[in-house]
Amino acid sequence: MKILKIPKPNLDLFMTVLPAFGEVYAPVKRGEGFVFAQPSRWSDVQMKYPRTILPPKKFLLPPREVTFVFNPQEGYRDLVAEAAKPIVLFGVHPYDIFGLNILDRVFAQGKYVDPYYMARRQSTTIIGVDFEPDDKHFAYSMNADFVESGFDLFFSDIGDAYLVLVGTSRGDDIVLMSGCLLQEPTEEDFAEYKRRSGLRRSAYKTRLELGELPEILEMEYHSKIWDEMGERCLSCGSCSAVCPTCYCFDVNDDLELVGRAGSRVRSWDSCLFKTHALVAGGENFRSSRASRIKFRYYHKQRGFVAEYGRPSCVGCGRCVTICPAKIDIVTVIETIRGERDESSSSVAAVV
Amino acid sequence: MSESKKVLIIDDDRDFVNAIESLLQDSGYQVRSAFNGREGLHLAKTLRPDLILLDVMMTERTEGFFMLQEARRIPELRQTPVIVISSIYADQPIFRVSPEAGWLPANLFLPKPLDPARLLAEVRRLTDATCSPVTQAAGGRRES
Repeated sequence: MKILKIPKPNLDLFMTVLPAFGEVYAPVKRGEGFVFAQPSRWSDVQMKYPRTILPPKKFLLPPREVTFVFNPQEGYRDLVAEAAKPIVLFGVHPYDIFGLNILDRVFAQGKYVDPYYMARRQSTTIIGVDFEPDDKHFAYSMNADFVESGFDLFFSDIGDAYLVLVGTSRGDDIVLMSGCLLQEPTEEDFAEYKRRSGLRRSAYKTRLELGELPEILEMEYHSKIWDEMGERCLSCGSCSAVCPTCYCFDVNDDLELVGRAGSRVRSWDSCLFKTHALVAGGENFRSSRASRIKFRYYHKQRGFVAEYGRPSCVGCGRCVTICPAKIDIVTVIETIRGERDESSSSVAAVV
Repeated sequence: MSESKKVLIIDDDRDFVNAIESLLQDSGYQVRSAFNGREGLHLAKTLRPDLILLDVMMTERTEGFFMLQEARRIPELRQTPVIVISSIYADQPIFRVSPEAGWLPANLFLPKPLDPARLLAEVRRLTDATCSPVTQAAGGRRES
């Protein structure tokens, strides 16, 4: 892997050449939060931010997308080509890149490849940047505090500059186009990188023990914890919306009144929604809130491990931040593991 | 008819703006000016100019580049001809990325200091081109 560096004063000039690779989206401030959006000027771009409200999955699996249209004039027209619009995601944190790598396993590497996701993924340039964890991040525990693939370039802060890892040939093309803005790093730069790397790892205040968790979840399948959480959870689905790896979607046909033309629409769904497991005939396999929130935990921390060898959580802390009922995944897992005193609670009091 | 063409100048150097305004007005153009990217973008949306003359280094040194990207996202400005006029290559020697490399959605890049006769000829050429079908002056196409 090629390693270069870019002095921080060169970043604004570097950003101006990125449009050659697609529409550029970067973390910008919106109200009290941060979002991936197109910056109007360099000072809009936030190189240091805790987390964006929505993860970058919104670009690869949009909240709502029309996959094809049909009408008597043109018959059927697939919109997969329109999904392939080149974009550049600048300033993506490693756990979010890890989240995209997990989505790849589902949509791009499985038995059934999703053409819309694939078209977007192949048209997306990803430039990552490291970050300082806050008290909600637990990416270190989820082995998602760094990434070795899934990015074209990755920036690591070394003080006056960023060390730049070149991950792909497209990343190399960006380097070539940027000319003298990037430079060869020195031994001192490498030493500073290693020093800061260690500091970042030790900066995680929130840590989670994952050992034997799937087995412990199996043992706790009938625990009263799930009923107590069901009492607390509002089934709003916010945790799914902000999760970098939640990928459930619903598919509907929007028809015009005459019924001869329309479009097929795919939109985000959530396993917390009451209708998620509702099937024809009115049967609902998860009609209670307790069964739905339990399903979410079991899918991410047990089912995904069995299928793909690791949990689908990346420790970004978004679900903890967004939950209106203050349900905290770290506290829930600690309680399940018996690391918290259950007698002091109902989990509702603990979480 | 070039006399009725509207040209918008966006540049924070008021002396430069005054000089170009005089040059273009004497040649029969309607000229409006803005002194930073945001003001320029706002004016461009309401004025719908036939041509924009755009500086790069204003409040921020890449402001013109960002403004141009944003203008190209606005449907009514997507195909407006833009001449970028800047001394960035002289002032920022580290920045050796050619505007011809495909990243700058302008029709033309002119370095400062500017040759007034060259500017006038290019303004005439690009504003006359706006009488042609818009696809011939599409955003992102560079002409030199």
